[in-house]
Order: sequence, then structure tokens, then C-alpha cells
Amino acid sequence: MKKRLYIELENCIGCRSCLAACTQCGGHEQRNRNYVYDVNPLISRQTMPLMCLHCENPACARSCPAQAIQIHETGAVLSALVEKCIGCQNCTIACPYGIPKFDSEQNLMYKCDLCIDRTKDGIPPMCASVCPSNTLQWLSEEEIATKKSQFALENEKWVSSMPYLEGGTNVKINLPGILQGVEKLF
Amino acid sequence: MPKPILVQPQSIRSYNRAFASHFAKSIFITVILLAVLVFIGTRMFTHLDLNLYGYMVGTLVFIGGFFYRFIAWAERPPTKNLIKKGIRLLFRKSTTKTATNHMVTHQFIWNRGIYRWAQHFLIGWGCILSCFVTFPLVFGWMYFTMEENGYYTVVGMGINLMKVKADGVLSFFFYNALNITAIMVIAGVSMALYRRLKNMQARAEQKFLYDFLPLYMLLLVSVTGLLLTVMNVFFHGKGQPVMSLIHQYSVIITLLYLPFGKLAHIPFRAVSVFAKNYREHYGSQSMKNCRVCGDPFVSTEQSNDVIQILNENDIQFKMQEGFHLAELCLPCRRKYRMSRFSGFNTHEAKVKEANQNAKG
Repeated sequence: MKKRLYIELENCIGCRSCLAACTQCGGHEQRNRNYVYDVNPLISRQTMPLMCLHCENPACARSCPAQAIQIHETGAVLSALVEKCIGCQNCTIACPYGIPKFDSEQNLMYKCDLCIDRTKDGIPPMCASVCPSNTLQWLSEEEIATKKSQFALENEKWVSSMPYLEGGTNVKINLPGILQGVEKLF
Repeated sequence: MPKPILVQPQSIRSYNRAFASHFAKSIFITVILLAVLVFIGTRMFTHLDLNLYGYMVGTLVFIGGFFYRFIAWAERPPTKNLIKKGIRLLFRKSTTKTATNHMVTHQFIWNRGIYRWAQHFLIGWGCILSCFVTFPLVFGWMYFTMEENGYYTVVGMGINLMKVKADGVLSFFFYNALNITAIMVIAGVSMALYRRLKNMQARAEQKFLYDFLPLYMLLLVSVTGLLLTVMNVFFHGKGQPVMSLIHQYSVIITLLYLPFGKLAHIPFRAVSVFAKNYREHYGSQSMKNCRVCGDPFVSTEQSNDVIQILNENDIQFKMQEGFHLAELCLPCRRKYRMSRFSGFNTHEAKVKEANQNAKG
């Protein structure tokens, strides 16, 4: 059964477990590939995670001269193939969310690969498996559909839609209630 | 009455019209060049080693596959752009240093791990040195004659280069060059296979056709090549003709596979020198200042190129604020996304990005 990463942005409590867990994924070589940001750092303590959203038409792969960024059959946009990456950093400039990281010593780009060693077998990625606040969830299509009906609005604002994202993504995002015009109950 | 405007035909040179495609032209030129070199090297086809004729046919087919794959690749917008600018910047001072670093010593692989560097060094240089021996022999660019008993004359491109003692130290290395490189390749491939069995990331991503097949092919080539020596030295050449055919087939299949699988990274590497030159040159010319925070983060040229490449792919990241996302530095681009998620303009808050590195 195909499952997706699903992010309920406003649940984030800023514990950064997802960053720590990311470093522990096999092959990530102790370096995290995701981000947690303060939304309004001088006023409130609200944070939000920023992950690779695994675009359906990934700008990083489109801008890669070496075809080093491959797309897995699950839809995950993989990290650069180590033998092909030529270190031009086009992908870091092209990504609309600023996700790819670059190691100039190794002349190699690395980015979230959705823990492909786990997710290809249906095991949740490291970040989702440790998230204590249900911000990052690993859900089947039916479960996402249930979520959608729960927060359904006429304008379909609930999920990754164009005004908030740049094109279709494999990771689904639930925008904060304030943007949806609803108060969420948990 | 207005004068009729004479439309000059575009300067179409007749040799360009002679070919159906870029592909056909490239192959024609390469094959002709090869034929001329063989003609010179073999002293007008008098010293061609017909024992190696299978490899010659294999190489010609390989050239077809090679151009097919890499011309298609070079047509992609980002690749086309990088190759065009890379060639223009080829004669920079730093090119020699970068090329040595990327293609001879592979320092970036050393930085990824000494084990990986060692395996790559053994496989890579084992293969390159073998090619330096094999192809000159196949095309007759190098051969040996014996005019005087006990001494070989080494002939390169039809010119007598040197005389070596038939049982001397130097000739020992000449005879055993391919044995030595075969041992290098076998050692390197064994290290690579061991890593593929143990490393978790490798185990997750590797595919038989892409990751294992080239290793098995190199192993097959090296082992059958070494067996030829074993059969000659220890078994008086028994089974040698059969093994020589098996070896020939394995080499030809590896050559044909090269442009389409993992080994295609060998010609890709040259482009990494282009990429380095491109970043250094345009970075020293003018840097792009982030449209939000004003810090320089990439060369203006590359920022514009990426916007252009994305346009060609029908991807527009033009924002309502008036900037293209490729004009924002990475932290600002991430904060800008926060603002789209939250409704608050995070990217405009004058606060440094919080630490994003969890040291595990």
C-alpha cells in the first residue's frame, strides 16, 4: 500500500527530533537534510518543519546537467548519484524551497531521499517515525482522504495547492488553520 | 516601386548538408580519423594484428553507442549550457589543477572516504592503464619488432621509439602490464562488492543492472584476461584459444554497455572540470545579491542560467513580490516558504537563520 509523508505544519513544537533522526538514517552519514524554522522568531515560539516535498516535476532534477538526481519508482526524488554529481550546484539554485545541501569538500550535493532504504519497503522515514507531535505523519491515501474530508473547505485550501507550493508534490501538506480559515480541534 | 529584398541563403556549408544528423557526422569524422591514425600507425596497414580484429569491430560499434548516448545527453538544456560555457572557459589557469584533481588523483573521493578512494583508484586506474595498452595494440599504434636477436624494438605511431632487452626489466613490465592492471581491477572490484554488501545506503539504492553488472563485467574481463596468462605459463597454452574468445566477448560487451550504465560517469567527469571553471570564472566576475537579505550567494550568470533552464522546462518560479526564487539565497528561500505556509513574512524578519545542523 502506497503511503505518503503528510505534514501538519502547525503541530510542530520545535523539538528538532526530525533533524536528529535524519542524521541516523543509513547513508546520511550523520548529517541531517531537513530544516526547522521559527515562523516569527521575535514574537512567538511557533516553528515549522521544512522538508523536501518531492515535487512531481522536480526543478532540481530538471536543472541537473549530469542527470545525477534520479526519481525513484515511489516518487521520491533521490539525493545526487555520487558518481554523476559534478558539483555545479544548479540544483541548489533551482529548488523552490532551498532544500539541497552541498558539500564542497566531497564535491557532492545531498538532499532528502525520503529515507529510501525504509520507505521503499513501506517503513516510515526517520523524521516521521520520531515526530512526537504528529507534525510529520506517514499515511496511506485513504487516511489522507479522511484528513482532507475532516478539514474540507470549499476552496480546497487544505492541502498542497498552488498558492502555497510551486506545483504538485508527493509530500502532502496541511496548512495551518489560520490560513484555512478554520480552528482545528485535536 | 520598392526594391525586392534579396534573401541571402544562410551560410550552409555543403559538408554540413552531407549528413543526415549531428550523430551521423560525428561518427563519420571519428571513424575517418581512426582509419587515418591506423594507416599511419601500422605503416600503411602492414603491421595490423589481426588476432585483435574482434576488438576493432567492437570499438566501432561502441563509438556508435557512445555518440548516441552523449549527443542525446548534451541536448538537455542544463547540459548544453554548461558544455557551451565550459568549452569557452577551458583555457583558464586553474584548468590543469582542477582536471588533475578531479580526473587523476580524485581528491573529492578521498574526502568521501579512503576506502572508497582506494577501490576507485584501483578500478579506475586499472581500467585506464589497460586501455592505454589495449587500444594502441588493437589499432596498431604500438607494436614490437625484433630485428636483432634478443632485442625488441618498440614502434609507436610508425616510429621506432626504443630498443628493449627481450628479458630485461622494462620488457617484463611491457609483457605483464595487463596482468598487473587485471590484479588492480580485481582487488578494486572485490572492495567495491564488499562495500555494496555492507553499506546500508548502497544496499537500499543499488540495482543489479546499474550497480552490480558493471562490477561483474569488469571482474569477468580481468579474470578471463588473467586466465590467459595462467594457461600460457602453466598449461602450455591449453584452452587458450577458447579463453581468448571468451575474454574478447567480455571486453566487447563491457565496451558496448559503457555509455548506457554506471560507467557512463567516466566521460561525465570531464564536465565537472567545466562546472568548477564556470563557478570560479563567473563568481569572480559578478555575484548575485539575494533579493531579500542582499548577501551574495551565487554568480549572477548561474542564477540567470538556472532561471533560463527552468523556463525551457516550463517551470516558472516568479513570485508576486517580483523576484524569481532563484534570486534568493538558500536561507531566505526557505524562510520565504515559511511565510507562504504561515502568512507571516518570516523572510523579512531581521533574524539570523537558527542552527539547522543536528550533529548526530
